Amino acid sequence: NVNIIEFLGKWGQAIARARCAFAIMLHLNEGRFWATWRCVLRGCVPKKLLVYASKYSHEFEESCGFGWKYAAEPEHDWSTLIANKNAEIQRLTGIYKSTLKNAGVELIEGRGKIVDPHTVDVDGKLYSAKNILISVGGRPFIPDIPGSEYVVDSDAALDLPSKPKKIAIVGGGYIAVEFAGIFNGLQSDVHVFIRQKKVLRGFDEEIRDFVGEQMLLRGIEIHTEQSPQAIIKSSDGSLSLKTNKGTIDGFSHIMFATGRKPNTKNLGLESVGVKLKENGAIEVDEYSQTSVPSIWAVGDVTDRINLTPVALMEGGALAKTLFANKPTKPEYRAVPSAVFSQPPIGQVGLTEEQAIKEYGDVDVYTANFRPLKATLSGLPDRIFMKLIACAKTDKVLGLHICGEDSPEIIQGFAVAVKAGLTKADFDATVGIHPTAAEELVTMRTPTRKLRRTPSEGKTDSEFKAAAGV
Amino acid sequence: MARKMLIDGKLGNPNGEEIHYDFDLFVIGAGSGGVRASRFSAQYGAKVGICELPFHPISSEVIGGVGGTCVIRGCVPKKILVYGASFGPELQDARSYGWELNERIDFDWKKLLQKKTEEIVRLTGIYKRLLANAGVKLFEGEGRVVGPNEVEVVQLDGTKISYSAKNILIATGSRAQRVAIPGQELAITSDEALSLEELPKRAVVFGAGYIAVEFASIWRGMGATVDLFFRKELPLRGFDDEMRAVVARNLEGRGIKLHPTTNLTELVRTENGIKVCTDHGEELMADVVLFATGRAPNTKRLNLEAVGVELDKIGAVKVDEYSRTNLPTVWAIGDVTNRMNLTPVALMEGSCFAKTVFGGEPTKPDHTNVPCAVFCIPPLSVVGLSEEQAIEQANGDILVFTSTFNAMKNTISGRQEKTFMKLVVDAETDKVLGASMCGPDAPEIMQGIAIALKCGATKAQFDSTVGIHPSAAEEFVTMRSITRRIAAGKPKTNL
Repeated sequence: NVNIIEFLGKWGQAIARARCAFAIMLHLNEGRFWATWRCVLRGCVPKKLLVYASKYSHEFEESCGFGWKYAAEPEHDWSTLIANKNAEIQRLTGIYKSTLKNAGVELIEGRGKIVDPHTVDVDGKLYSAKNILISVGGRPFIPDIPGSEYVVDSDAALDLPSKPKKIAIVGGGYIAVEFAGIFNGLQSDVHVFIRQKKVLRGFDEEIRDFVGEQMLLRGIEIHTEQSPQAIIKSSDGSLSLKTNKGTIDGFSHIMFATGRKPNTKNLGLESVGVKLKENGAIEVDEYSQTSVPSIWAVGDVTDRINLTPVALMEGGALAKTLFANKPTKPEYRAVPSAVFSQPPIGQVGLTEEQAIKEYGDVDVYTANFRPLKATLSGLPDRIFMKLIACAKTDKVLGLHICGEDSPEIIQGFAVAVKAGLTKADFDATVGIHPTAAEELVTMRTPTRKLRRTPSEGKTDSEFKAAAGV
Repeated sequence: MARKMLIDGKLGNPNGEEIHYDFDLFVIGAGSGGVRASRFSAQYGAKVGICELPFHPISSEVIGGVGGTCVIRGCVPKKILVYGASFGPELQDARSYGWELNERIDFDWKKLLQKKTEEIVRLTGIYKRLLANAGVKLFEGEGRVVGPNEVEVVQLDGTKISYSAKNILIATGSRAQRVAIPGQELAITSDEALSLEELPKRAVVFGAGYIAVEFASIWRGMGATVDLFFRKELPLRGFDDEMRAVVARNLEGRGIKLHPTTNLTELVRTENGIKVCTDHGEELMADVVLFATGRAPNTKRLNLEAVGVELDKIGAVKVDEYSRTNLPTVWAIGDVTNRMNLTPVALMEGSCFAKTVFGGEPTKPDHTNVPCAVFCIPPLSVVGLSEEQAIEQANGDILVFTSTFNAMKNTISGRQEKTFMKLVVDAETDKVLGASMCGPDAPEIMQGIAIALKCGATKAQFDSTVGIHPSAAEEFVTMRSITRRIAAGKPKTNL
């Protein structure tokens, strides 16, 4: 009897020992039966390596202001990067395979399907299990429009045979924005197409404005309020993108980063009675239990917060619930996250819009400044920081920063926000000098104080008008 | 004598008359502490005057500049040079990421120095404007204390003007010291190092503190041969011993030659450069010898002894918890008091001073759990207690959590340089007593950690915070296994 859940429990330990987080996924594409580790092979890790590679062009520019001189403009060789990136991923995969083995986990490669509440079928062989955990993650979603077969998704974008000369990226979420920065930094001509007016819907509005501006300053073209309708391939091989506003020609590549869908097709879920949401995500309760008591689900397939560290948390909590006799609910308050755009974003807690809705009276502190490096490089780089405090309790409700090192900076602040610390606690902490981060403990004057009128609630627009937003 | 609180700048006189003073506050020294104290006091309604020596990047007893050490010859130019130096190794790493660079990448030291000078001049101008906007009157010249309510400013042309002040604040900072060995005049201090005409090809650095280690990294990053000499086994005495060892290892990994337990005995000028002699009998040649062997408070010419202000044995002004000297109307903040010689601490002391004396709210600066950073390459940043301090101070057991790894960026470039992170926890209360990190971005990462630590956050609170991925910082919230447990009452070592 294979106890598939034990697999995850020890896995949780293994995850903790290995520095990099990951979730195992049985790839369920028709005709492809291989186990992949999303974060390591197709997500966080290769993404970050490509971000590092692409940042250098900006650093070369910066270094000129610091006295460095290049006899010739540095040029980038895509194949060297991809080869080195793949070598690193191979190395990591090897490490994780042996970590699994050392943890005593039995890895079965194949296509899994649920037969009944205690039975799993893998390529025809049946295994019984006391508990079954579904953690198959998600996959890129590409809308079914004419010419979609010419489109690349994020998976393919990480392994293109050659660097795009001119690329259209359709989408406004973090994946689109990160890839825009990557290809732009590697000297491609980048055009982003979004349906909204700004990128990164759901993020703090001022952050959306700021990162959009900074992307424009770096040479990325953003085409707003456009919906893709068709892709046309011309005789010379170049691609054209037709949207509701017209057609743009001459792309060597078109990438769609238009959302991800949970990988729940052909798992046998409907027949065994596991309830799904409208978008295909598995419905779970606070303990990650599905509608079938012996079946559980964690990670992107449940579409809660789709981040590796959250999947880790959900997996760890589940292991405790099932095997440590300690029912544990994953906690979703104040989960920090980052977007590795250029410049990158770090955030924790509520956006200003959410804070106003939930708390009414809030004080907003902002800083928008040129970092020391930029005063010498002469580049238009800036950093934007925002701290939102509850006017009544002084608790810090949200922090949003966009600028170099934001993801690294925000982690420590997330501990403070999660612990419910106040603006006064922040202010009592001495700054580290000279850094960018110290700005967050030296914000003395609110940029705006937002107050609900005592007699009646204001509408959002009245609020904003009073606030001068 | 009872301390009097000053409201509206008027001190009541037993006879019922009011004494008129030129200023409610006169500040000697317009550096980080002095400017902060002046502006905030003025904001509370005080009439403030401040004096400062004329501007030049290289200080002397009679030369300084508005903005002080931090802006002109400290934090800011230092960071600029660290940025400049960091690009060197970065450019090498870029190749493994597919970038094709010429073998020869030139570095123009003069250009960097020129831009550095432009920046510090710009900042000094900004500080002057800040003072003017706050309504603080700025005098150029050398100030000294003449009486409990009187200062004298010697102007550039030699004329002396006296001002009466209800309160006097000394904020004259500190200056680099030289070692008294034969040939010491051939050596430079950090002032000159930040304004060198030429980039040295061979640099010798003598000292073990943050200044020595930072300059060693700066010059090495720019391609110089660097030899670092210090008297102890490891640099950065006072820091966590394990972190000191990590820093030393990293410096060596970058090609800096370390010479521990060594003293310099003599410097001799030769045709080929400066001959440096050590107490181990070694001799080597250098283009530049940097003494980074300590800084002393600037109190010699202030006339303090005559007025009766107490100094300690190294010349620092003695102050109480409110930054007041033994004279009730004379106060001191910043490096001249030699408490914690960091710009943000001077700022804090200045703010607290203004609040106490003019804001009607006596406020003691809090010197506990102050984070700081050393900008060697890669940098070190710490907050709270070192492991040694925790063991010494704790009643119960101490838990140490560590994480060592090669940063993701290095995996492709092949650079073998481990990032090291550490949490020191009180086993009984679960409180995080200290955090430290040596690795890229450590100073930026530590700021948020410092808030949590200062507020008594527990390891459990750290662990309940979800990580940001992929980052180095997330290690601080994912340290699950105890590296070692130290029982209470274990004796400390002395490296």
